[in-house]
Amino acid sequence: MKTEAASGAGVQIFGVRHLSPAGAYHVGQFLDRIRPTAVLIEGPSDASAEIAHLTNASTRPPVALLAFTEELPVRTVLWPFAVYSPEYQAMLWAQNHGAYCAFIDLPSSSAVCLQDIRGAARDKELLNGPDEQAPQSPVAGQTAEETGAPGGMADDPDLSASLYDKIAGIAGEPDYDTYWERNFEHNLRPEAYRQAILAYSGQMRELTEEKERRDDRLEYAYNAVREAYMCRKIAEALAAGHKPEQIVVVCGAYHASALQNPALAMSDEALSQLPARKTKLTLMPYSYLRLSSLTGYGAGNRAPYYFEMMWEQMRRGDVAELSHRYLASVAADLRRTGTHRSTAEVIEAVRLAEALSALHGGSAPTLMDLRDAAKTLLGRGELSVVAEALARTEVGTAIGALAEGVSQTPIQDDVARQLKRLKLEKYKTAVAQDLALDLRENRRVSSEEAAFLDLNRSFWFHRLKLLGIHFVKEQRRTAEQAVWSEHWVIQWSPEVEIEVVESNLLGETVETAAGFVLQQRLEECSTLKEASELISAAYECGMIHQMEAARSALQKLAVQSQNVAEIAAAARRLSQLIRFGGIRRIETTPLVPLLEQLFLRACLFLQEACQCNDEAAQAMAEAMNELNHIAAEHSDEVDEALWIRELSVLSDRDDAHPRLSGLACAILLERGELSAEACSAEVSRRLSPGIPADLGAGWFEGLAMRNRYALLSRMSLWDQLNAYICSLEDDEFVRSLVFLRRAFSVFSQREKTMVAELLGELWGVEPERAAEMITEELKEEEARMLDELNDFDFEDF
Amino acid sequence: MSKTEPVMQDIMRKPAEVLYQEELQALIREDQGKVPTGWQMSPQSVLKFIVGGQAGGRTITPKYIGNARLVEMAIATLVTDRALLLIGEPGTAKSWLSENLSAAIYGNSGLVVQGTAGTTEEQVRYSWNYAMLLAQGPTPEALVKSPIMRAMEAGGIARFEEISRCASEVQDALISILSEKTISVPELGKEVNARKGFSIIATANTRDRGVNEMSTALKRRFNMIVLPAPADLETEVEIVKKRVAEIASSYDLQAAAPSDEALQKVVTIFRELRSGMTLDKKEKVKSPAGVISTAEAISLLTNSMALAASFGGGEMTDEDLAAGLQGAIVKDDDKDRLVWKEYLDNVMKKRGAGWRGLYTACKEMNQ
Repeated sequence: MKTEAASGAGVQIFGVRHLSPAGAYHVGQFLDRIRPTAVLIEGPSDASAEIAHLTNASTRPPVALLAFTEELPVRTVLWPFAVYSPEYQAMLWAQNHGAYCAFIDLPSSSAVCLQDIRGAARDKELLNGPDEQAPQSPVAGQTAEETGAPGGMADDPDLSASLYDKIAGIAGEPDYDTYWERNFEHNLRPEAYRQAILAYSGQMRELTEEKERRDDRLEYAYNAVREAYMCRKIAEALAAGHKPEQIVVVCGAYHASALQNPALAMSDEALSQLPARKTKLTLMPYSYLRLSSLTGYGAGNRAPYYFEMMWEQMRRGDVAELSHRYLASVAADLRRTGTHRSTAEVIEAVRLAEALSALHGGSAPTLMDLRDAAKTLLGRGELSVVAEALARTEVGTAIGALAEGVSQTPIQDDVARQLKRLKLEKYKTAVAQDLALDLRENRRVSSEEAAFLDLNRSFWFHRLKLLGIHFVKEQRRTAEQAVWSEHWVIQWSPEVEIEVVESNLLGETVETAAGFVLQQRLEECSTLKEASELISAAYECGMIHQMEAARSALQKLAVQSQNVAEIAAAARRLSQLIRFGGIRRIETTPLVPLLEQLFLRACLFLQEACQCNDEAAQAMAEAMNELNHIAAEHSDEVDEALWIRELSVLSDRDDAHPRLSGLACAILLERGELSAEACSAEVSRRLSPGIPADLGAGWFEGLAMRNRYALLSRMSLWDQLNAYICSLEDDEFVRSLVFLRRAFSVFSQREKTMVAELLGELWGVEPERAAEMITEELKEEEARMLDELNDFDFEDF
Repeated sequence: MSKTEPVMQDIMRKPAEVLYQEELQALIREDQGKVPTGWQMSPQSVLKFIVGGQAGGRTITPKYIGNARLVEMAIATLVTDRALLLIGEPGTAKSWLSENLSAAIYGNSGLVVQGTAGTTEEQVRYSWNYAMLLAQGPTPEALVKSPIMRAMEAGGIARFEEISRCASEVQDALISILSEKTISVPELGKEVNARKGFSIIATANTRDRGVNEMSTALKRRFNMIVLPAPADLETEVEIVKKRVAEIASSYDLQAAAPSDEALQKVVTIFRELRSGMTLDKKEKVKSPAGVISTAEAISLLTNSMALAASFGGGEMTDEDLAAGLQGAIVKDDDKDRLVWKEYLDNVMKKRGAGWRGLYTACKEMNQ
């Protein structure tokens, strides 16, 4: 290996900054001049086979190469390419000229591991020294592109952030990006660019290398390993018979000087020691929006669309026109949104941008000059006026596309197939779009497929939701919305693609993956609530098998559960599914026996559950209302008579929670199961003198929870309540107030007024005056008394 | 143009070109850039004059501290012979920047039209010496040229202060001047054409917005730059410190310059009242109705220095400072007094021993 490598001197190294239009332009010119037989590019060497797909005629950048581990924990590394990426242009050139083209950086299997090690070290650093200027580790360890991207000038933000600021400061530029654009992106003299960038990065490296070797050994080692590997790959190309001067290496400028020394090549032994995890590679469409939000990653990312414009202008040989285009686009965008700006202002803006650039001795305005000119002229001094137009002109909404069948995971293919089948392809954009679905059969179309298009869409959307793929988002259902309609917001982003790829671990298609997730959750589920939710989920996803599995899981859990509140909630869910099941064309009758069973259990444990404390009583009251609802709704299926019997028992019991007894009484009254006399007798029994306030008033609170108008129409009841309250001792009276106040707090203003009138009648007060009293503002004295009541100490309660 | 040279020694406030005469000369001497027609130095040197730097071994003091990019934009505007409009809250150094720009570019910052509700079109264009007009009829000698007309003839820079305070018809007189770059004098049958280098720097106050809103036609003829309040405490302290020292020396105040601590305190109070929030963003405070700009802070401190010099021991005490603060903040008597009291008790009182003296003094003053 050594001897071959030694002859590697003379290999043509072209250092670039990633995502740099000038870099792309010069690489193209350079390749045209050298006409190499081999083009070697910094990128994961195991992805060389993807180059053919990347350069496919129907591939439209931005696209990204994604490596992911097949086993948990999932780690991904991303290499994005825009049309103005020098690497991408180099690939295209090689493709068009029949040259050998390969990636030469560490294979993704090792890159993933080294990434992890670096990430862990950084996290530790963050914990230990908060004032250390360490960068954020990749978000949630999911996408590691900022650090995993092929190393470039700004590869090590922590190390050199201040250094970059210093360089910009010395050059008299407001920031480093502007410095870079002015000095490198605008430099179109052949060869000058390559020499300048080589010299510049060489010096930068000298400046930082020592410090890195000392303070950041991991980073230093990481770069050394990568460079050794790249040298090895170059040596291999030489061994394959390419002449050194016929080999062009396109790499991050930072590595350019190191690759000129082929003696560094990695030995076979070292190669075998590289850590590795099995990875898979796939291509995915990428978006400018995502590209612009990358941090710490080379130039050209802040304003991808602007740089694309620059690239286009370079190809046309008319870079000078860039500022005209940029400012005219901003003005056009402003006009579209209703803010008129004249051509004269665009002209003046161009002049201002040029004057600003001349102040710094630049040949053309930089992005910052253009932005400031747009702000001053088109925004009339206010950034807010033009901010949106600027974002649209700089970032753009472009999303890449790949040739069909290029995506490497079966699930990606499945998603593409489904998008086509469900006619959703036009929604695959970075702009959020609304889609209202009508789940009913569309009778105006001929085919079955078309008639239930929206229903199938809904099934698919719910499956994506289950998989945690954020392509669709369900809007909250409003009360007046029909049960057959659903509202979704659809928005595609590169994250979606990553999520899709990650789901590949779960199944080969969206359906199987969703089934797997459901199955997994079923195995883990331990409460009735979870199980009934899973039934709903399976139902919404249209997955009959899982629904059946969830049903039997729920049944098993139900046998053991004695928690009436939970049982009632689960039963309620089932009841809804049974009633509306037809809408999704799913047979829900198998659920009926389960509903019967749940209902029965709830009835059987009702008495026991009602002997509870105040807190549980709240949930129980809800459960009772739900059970009552089910009893009425499914009177054919469930044992309604049993329900009435249990309620009667509860209503009569003195040892149950008084509020629940009161509620039972209210339900019976409402259902006509309790005669007026019986009711009156019960009221007088419950509110007889000597009954403690929390029992008497608590019971009344339960009674008042339902059918208030029925109560309001019964004068005798209020008479009895009045008599009861009058019989109370002062201390007890205050206690009862707490309950009564709570009971009446849920009454509407009108209802309260009616109560006041009723009581006024009893006390011989004029109705109008009573109403007045109740609606007017509190006096200070009254407010104080209320406050005291709020702080009421229940002592032994 | 010929300027009668007044005796500059005992003049109350020296214009920028006199105050910084030596700096300007050094910059012109050392200038290596290309000088636009009508300018006395290159745009790069103008920038250096405003934001500070070195010229031939001489330190150029910064005149506008904070956002150098805004200054670049202002200069670039004038290079393209567009008119410049500086907008901002009161006391954000609009006039100061305009004066220094004129001084650096043209060497004369004195061609000023002060915009008021009473400004007439004649003050923008030209008027007549009526005695001569009646005696001799319209002659060039009877013509009284406005500062703008004089700037046009000389190819220099005219300043228009507080443009939004003028009535719209007066503002509109500028439109033809800015687009045609001529003023015609039909009485004499001649036209005054602007020479290269002519431009106008106008200032407008955001608090006046809506009083005499500028027409779109006029707005279109200006490059507008919004001057913000100083971005952070350090910048503002630096600005105040520098200006207080300059003013003190020009007024010959016999008091020691305020300590850094006093500066810090005053600027802190001002920033908090201005933003309606304590610097640590933890507490909300009420803002007084009046303007509490950096310029106010500067005048407050010189005020306190004068108090200390004339009636005190020459050292600025907490009482002197408190008197200044009271005057600067409490303008709308009752309401502001409450705001100030609230601030004193809720914020300043809790600041600890370092603020105790000032707190007590302010408290007494605000009774």
